[in-house]
Amino acid sequence: MFFKMAWRNLWRNPRRTTVILIAVVIGLWSLLFLNAFMRGAIEQMVENNISILTGHLKVQKTGYHSDPVIENSITQPDEVKGVLAKVLPKEARYTSRVRLQVVASNARHNAGVTLVGIDPEAEAEMSFIGDAPLQGRYLSADTPHKILAGRALVEKMETQLEYKLVLMGQDTQNEIASRAFRIRGIFDAELESTEKQYVFVLKQAAQDMLRMGPAVSEFSVLLPEGALLPGVAQALKEALPEGYRVYTWRELLPLMDAYLKMFDGFIYLWTVAVFIAMGFGLVNTILMTVYERMHEFGLLKALGMKSGWIIREVLAEAFLILVLGMAAGNGLGVITVEAMSGGLDLSAFAAGAEFAGMSRIIYPRIVLQDMLVANGVVFFLGLGVSLYPALKAARFTPVEAMLQT
Amino acid sequence: MHKKSLMMTLILMGLCFSAPAWAVDANEVVNRAHEYFRGQASFSVVEMRIHRPDWERGMTLKAYTQGLSDSIFFVIDPPKDEGNGTLKKGDEMWMYNPKVNRVIKVPPSMMSQSWMGSDFSNNDLAKSDAILKHYQHSLEKTEERDGHKVYIIKSMPKEGAPVVWGMQRLEIRDDDVWMSQEFYDEDLELVKALTTQKIKQMGGRLFPAVWRMQKADAKNAYTQVTYQELRFMEDLPDRIFTVSNLRNPRDF
Repeated sequence: MFFKMAWRNLWRNPRRTTVILIAVVIGLWSLLFLNAFMRGAIEQMVENNISILTGHLKVQKTGYHSDPVIENSITQPDEVKGVLAKVLPKEARYTSRVRLQVVASNARHNAGVTLVGIDPEAEAEMSFIGDAPLQGRYLSADTPHKILAGRALVEKMETQLEYKLVLMGQDTQNEIASRAFRIRGIFDAELESTEKQYVFVLKQAAQDMLRMGPAVSEFSVLLPEGALLPGVAQALKEALPEGYRVYTWRELLPLMDAYLKMFDGFIYLWTVAVFIAMGFGLVNTILMTVYERMHEFGLLKALGMKSGWIIREVLAEAFLILVLGMAAGNGLGVITVEAMSGGLDLSAFAAGAEFAGMSRIIYPRIVLQDMLVANGVVFFLGLGVSLYPALKAARFTPVEAMLQT
Repeated sequence: MHKKSLMMTLILMGLCFSAPAWAVDANEVVNRAHEYFRGQASFSVVEMRIHRPDWERGMTLKAYTQGLSDSIFFVIDPPKDEGNGTLKKGDEMWMYNPKVNRVIKVPPSMMSQSWMGSDFSNNDLAKSDAILKHYQHSLEKTEERDGHKVYIIKSMPKEGAPVVWGMQRLEIRDDDVWMSQEFYDEDLELVKALTTQKIKQMGGRLFPAVWRMQKADAKNAYTQVTYQELRFMEDLPDRIFTVSNLRNPRDF
C-alpha cells in the first residue's frame, strides 16, 4: 500500500519528480563513468609500467637498486637462474638483462639513454618490446652489432634504419667503452619517454662491450595470472643466497603504488561529493512535497494513521526515486562505458596525458566493487537524508495542519 | 738553420719523388702526415680564439704531446682560467679545475660536449688518433695547389668502428702538411671542417701554424688555433703525462 501511494504521489507533480530523477541519474552516471575511466587509466598505467622492463618481480644484487652501476652486477647469473627455476611456479617466465646508462651519439646529436642488453626471444614474451610496433626487424642471435631504438629517439637524433649509433659507457675496468651499432628496428611505445630512454642490443653484445663476462644487471620475472606475488617473493628471498635482493613491482614502482592508493581514496571522496550535491536536491524536493501536502498528512493523522506509517510512506517515495534513478544511472553508465570499450583516444592531449604517465588510449573498465560502492552510498545515504522530511511529515498534528489552510 | 731547412726540403723532395702519384698509398700518406704533425714529442704554445657572431674570446694554452695519443694542455692566459688543464692518454681524458681543486675523469656523458666552450668536442681531442685506427683511406684525387701536390683522401670508417662520422675527407700536401680535415655524417653531408689557414716554418719544419674548426651550418662561428711557439723533440719524460702533473704542473 505504501508503494502504491508513494508511486501515485510521485507522479502528482511529474516535472518535479523528473528533475530530481535526472539529478540522481546524472550523479550515478558520472560516478560510474569516472570510476570506470580512472580504473582503466590506472590499470593500464600499472600494466604499462610492468611491461616497461619491470615485470612482477626483479632479482638484483644488493645495492644495485640505489646505485645502478656496473660494479653492482650479478656476476654469477647461473646461481640465480638455478634458484628461479626451482622456486617459481611452472608457467612463470623470467629473463636476465644488462642495463646501463650510456651516451648514444651520431654525427650531429647525442643523448643519454639506457642500454638494455636482452635475450631477444625471452624478452619478447616479457616486456613491451615483444608487442611494440616495429619498423625494421627485431634482434636475433646473429646481430651483435645491431640496435633497436625508439621512434622519438630516432627522430631526435635525425637518424634512420641502418644508420649508426655509437654508444659510450663506463665498463667494468672503469674505462670508457664505445661500440658502434646499426639501427635494425625502430619501435613505438605507449609513452614517448620510453621511446627516448631505451635502446636494445643483444645481451652478449652489451657484455662484450662492457667487458662484463657472463654478468648481468638483473633478472626479471613475470608471474602467471593468479599467482600470489608476496608469497613467491618471500620464497625467492629465502632460497637466494646472501647478496641478492628481491623486489616486487610495488617496491619498484612506488609511485604506481601510491597512485593506486590515492585513486581509491579519490573515488570515495568523489562519491561523497556527488552525493552531497545530489542529497541536498533530494531532501529539498521531498521536503517541498511534504510541506505541500501538510493538509493531507494532517487528515491522514486525524483518520488514525500512525506516525511510523507516514514515515514509511515518505521514505517509500524517496526509495522509488532512488531506485528509478539508480536503474537509469547504472544503465546509462554501463552503456557509455560499453560504447567506449574501443578505447578513449587521448592522442590530442598526448603530452598532458604523458605527463601524468597515462596511455594515449584509455579503455574504461567497470569494476563490480566500484559499482557496488557507488550504488550503496547513493542508496543508503539517500534514504538516510530522506528521513528528515519524513520525520517532519510525521510530526504534523491535525490541528497544525488545519491551521495551514 | 738555413742549411737544415734546405736539407729538410731536399729530403722531402726525395720522398715525393720516390713515391710517384700513381703509387700513392693513402694509408701511408695519412700516417706520415699525422706523424709529421705530432712529431715524436712536442711542446707548443697556442692561442685559441673562439669566435661567435656577437663575441670573441681568446685563451692561450701550453701543450705537450708525446707519441700519437698522449697530450696535456694547460691554460696560461687569461689569468681567470689559468691552471685549467686537460690530460689525454689513450682514449681517456682527465680535466683539472684549480678553482675546485679537483681532477675529474671525463665521463662518457661529457665526451661529446664542447671542450672549454670551443668548437672542439672532448671526443675530438680524446679520439684524435681515431683517424689512424678506425678508417680505411683511399685516394680520391690529386690536385695542384701553389706548386704543391695535394692529396685528397676519402676516409671511410671501418665496419663496426666506434666512430660517429660517416666519412672524413682529408687534404694532405705532398710535403705531409695537413691542409684540411672534413667531417661528414652518414648522409655524407658536411658537419664540420678543420682547415689550415696558414703554413709557416715552425719547430724546424713547415707547419700548419693557424687552423680553424668551423661547423658547416655556422657561418660566423669558429674556433681558430694559432701556434705561437713550437718545438719538436725526441722524447719527453713520462711524468708530464700524469694526473698529478695535471694538478701540479712543474716545468721540466
